[in-house]
Amino acid sequence: MSKYENEVTSNTGNHMVQNTPEYNEFAEAQLAHSVVGLLDAHVQHVDAEISNRLLVARGLAVSQLTKLQTQVVVSHEVNQSGNVLQWFGEHVGQYVGHHRLMSFILVTAALLLAFFAAQQFGLNNNLEHSDAYLLASDLPPEAYADKGFDAWLDTAAD
Amino acid sequence: MVGYSGRLKCLILILALFFSGYSVAEDANVSWAQLNAAQQAVLKPLASEWDTLRPWQREKMLDIARDYSNMSPNKQELVQKRLSRWSRMTPYERENARKKYQEFQALSPEKKEELRKKWLGYQKYSESQRLKLRSESPDSYTDADLE
Repeated sequence: MSKYENEVTSNTGNHMVQNTPEYNEFAEAQLAHSVVGLLDAHVQHVDAEISNRLLVARGLAVSQLTKLQTQVVVSHEVNQSGNVLQWFGEHVGQYVGHHRLMSFILVTAALLLAFFAAQQFGLNNNLEHSDAYLLASDLPPEAYADKGFDAWLDTAAD
Repeated sequence: MVGYSGRLKCLILILALFFSGYSVAEDANVSWAQLNAAQQAVLKPLASEWDTLRPWQREKMLDIARDYSNMSPNKQELVQKRLSRWSRMTPYERENARKKYQEFQALSPEKKEELRKKWLGYQKYSESQRLKLRSESPDSYTDADLE
């Protein structure tokens, strides 16, 4: 058992049962507190070179932590936007999240294109069914409209 | 404040209303004088009665003029020949003709040819015989239903 663990054990006394989650949490806090105390006590004796190295290391650690937190926040914001383009991948989703105007124009253009394509398709699809094709058909329009002809066909079929 | 999706929905609605309204309003109230030369050439048999037609009737006739240019010369000749008769048909007759034409289109070429021959055979009947056949066939709906 190390010196620090001894201190923790002595500080906890008889109030907490060892190896329980509460005890472990309390022990960790006590250990950290002891480390801080020791560092504070000996910081005056650290030479300049070690002090600089610690400063640089701390700076790196903090910047790394900040970067990670920023990524988490951006990802959360993009996901919250609920943009359907995210189905095409995370990068597309992030792009859309950052360029809302551009994505708005793109979606609008796509909808307009789909609208005109549907109209054109409907036009072509109905072309053969328009009155012009009825008039140009093998039979004259009166043949289709003459209910006497219909009745005569039924009679002929019987 | 209206959100991003709200603005998008509004834009789509406005565009849809604009374009659908435009396509109907464009043709509905055009007088004979306002038709272009190509339309007047196709619809010439209707020149005297054009301005008395209702907007939806004009629209149908303009559809014919639009499709006319895509047809072969033989078909165009048939359209010209039959347009006057078509314009004089009642709404009921026209609607019935459209329905029967759809059924005719679904037939095989052999059946179409058979029906064409039968139509020629029917023409050999006298007008009184044909009138009798017509009177024996009840209307499923009247012109008033189509107005």
